[in-house]
Amino acid sequence: MSDDAIYIVGVGMTEFGRFDGEDPELAEQAIRASLADCNLTWADVQFAVGGTNGETKPDNMVARMGLTGIPFITVKNGCATGGVSLMTARNGMLAEGHDIACVVGYDNHARGAFAASPARYGIGPWYGASGMMVTTSYFALKIQRYLHEYAMDARTLGYVSEKAFDYASAHPLAWRRKPISVDEAMDADMINDPLTRFMFCSPDAGAVSLVLARGSRAFDLCDKPVRLAAVTLRGRRPGSFEVFSPWLSPGPRTSPSVDAAAAAFATAGIQPSDVQVAQVQDTESGAEVMHLGETGLVAHGAQEAGYRNGDYLVDGSLPINTDGGCIANGEPVGASGLRQVHEVARQLQGRALGKQVPSRPTIGFTHVYGAPGISACTVLTTEGA
Amino acid sequence: MTRLIEEALFASTDPVMLAGSVCARCSAHVFPEQTSCPMCTGVDVSRVALPTTGVVWSWTTQHFAPKAPYRTDEFAPFSIGYVDLGPVIVEGWLLGRTSWTIGEPVRLALTKAWTDDDGQIVYTYGFEAAS
Repeated sequence: MSDDAIYIVGVGMTEFGRFDGEDPELAEQAIRASLADCNLTWADVQFAVGGTNGETKPDNMVARMGLTGIPFITVKNGCATGGVSLMTARNGMLAEGHDIACVVGYDNHARGAFAASPARYGIGPWYGASGMMVTTSYFALKIQRYLHEYAMDARTLGYVSEKAFDYASAHPLAWRRKPISVDEAMDADMINDPLTRFMFCSPDAGAVSLVLARGSRAFDLCDKPVRLAAVTLRGRRPGSFEVFSPWLSPGPRTSPSVDAAAAAFATAGIQPSDVQVAQVQDTESGAEVMHLGETGLVAHGAQEAGYRNGDYLVDGSLPINTDGGCIANGEPVGASGLRQVHEVARQLQGRALGKQVPSRPTIGFTHVYGAPGISACTVLTTEGA
Repeated sequence: MTRLIEEALFASTDPVMLAGSVCARCSAHVFPEQTSCPMCTGVDVSRVALPTTGVVWSWTTQHFAPKAPYRTDEFAPFSIGYVDLGPVIVEGWLLGRTSWTIGEPVRLALTKAWTDDDGQIVYTYGFEAAS
């Protein structure tokens, strides 16, 4: 294997949900679990990257893990933090020649929807004061238009929720594990038309850590290393429809997810149709539907039929968000993108904690997306059995 | 006593018109006014009054009271939409009801947002059904 190839050799994750302790306790649990997974210790780590949207400093994790003098970079890129952290680690390893790196993400959010400040986004106070600085209404406005453009029924959104909680019901680290039916999702309290209470993820707590190794070391540390075949990051171009936008351009629509996914597939030398298990950002049910289209995994407008056919279930043609995704796990922002990688890596290794995709997948994909219009994608691969 | 939620949003109040900016190089319109063009990276932009009629491009109804900095005298569910004005699609309140259809015609209007502590009524913009 090439020494420029980067592999995931260890994974660790805390239970997601509510957490009463200090944020760094969560991060430490995840880091120690990921190191134990590949029989390494913190003393072996040559480079680290940590992401959180909270007030603590990830680079101060060295106070708990050990003062070994290694470089430790902090990432804060909203909902895309996990993907950006992973990319930063990959780039640092290749640029500086580190053999072993640790990537950790964590957060412990207060209950309820995120409250956002207009000033942080360069918008006047009028926007928040008039009730438009609300993430849930943005998601609703975007999926309302998308369902209209591609002539899909709102019931599609109920199928997304049913699937999410079905996967989570079997996953020991998922937050919300109670199955719900499509009808229950559709009949729940309306939050922002067409999205009901059971279609949103909530901010919560959780931490995930990954140990990365260069090709020359990976197969010594892990029976079945997962190759990071691509990790890409893209921002918005004209025509994207982002949160906290007082205006949109009238031209053709695009998204940073379109560009990040296309770049990931090109880097890995595969087609979207080659993907056998995937995670896409499901901040709410509509986001999953749109992101299946924007990433190229499913043709725009074909998602409704896919949900109705069960294509995205564990024994379907393209299992999606097999740990319950954000909808069932909540979204501790710093950890969320790494949770996706954790789940897909385990699926490719054949050791999923919840429902295992039975078809021995060897090609996986992850996608995060967030404010103010950024997306990070990965392609993950294992060698065939 | 009344005041506008933000003077710079409006080109005039009688008749009510929103102010955006237009790029001399690529003709892109944005709202509110800004001093650069995010569409083409240009900086030769000028203030422009936006069209006052359009069609609903998307909509939702806000069924729960947003957290601060949202202000209201008394919360009731309200609709928000994107309205296609032609050169630009603008986000704003949809006035008078809580269920809408994409494509229906609307027109710009002033509407009360909240009452300041000193009794001054604050007005913002919204769009009302035009048919």
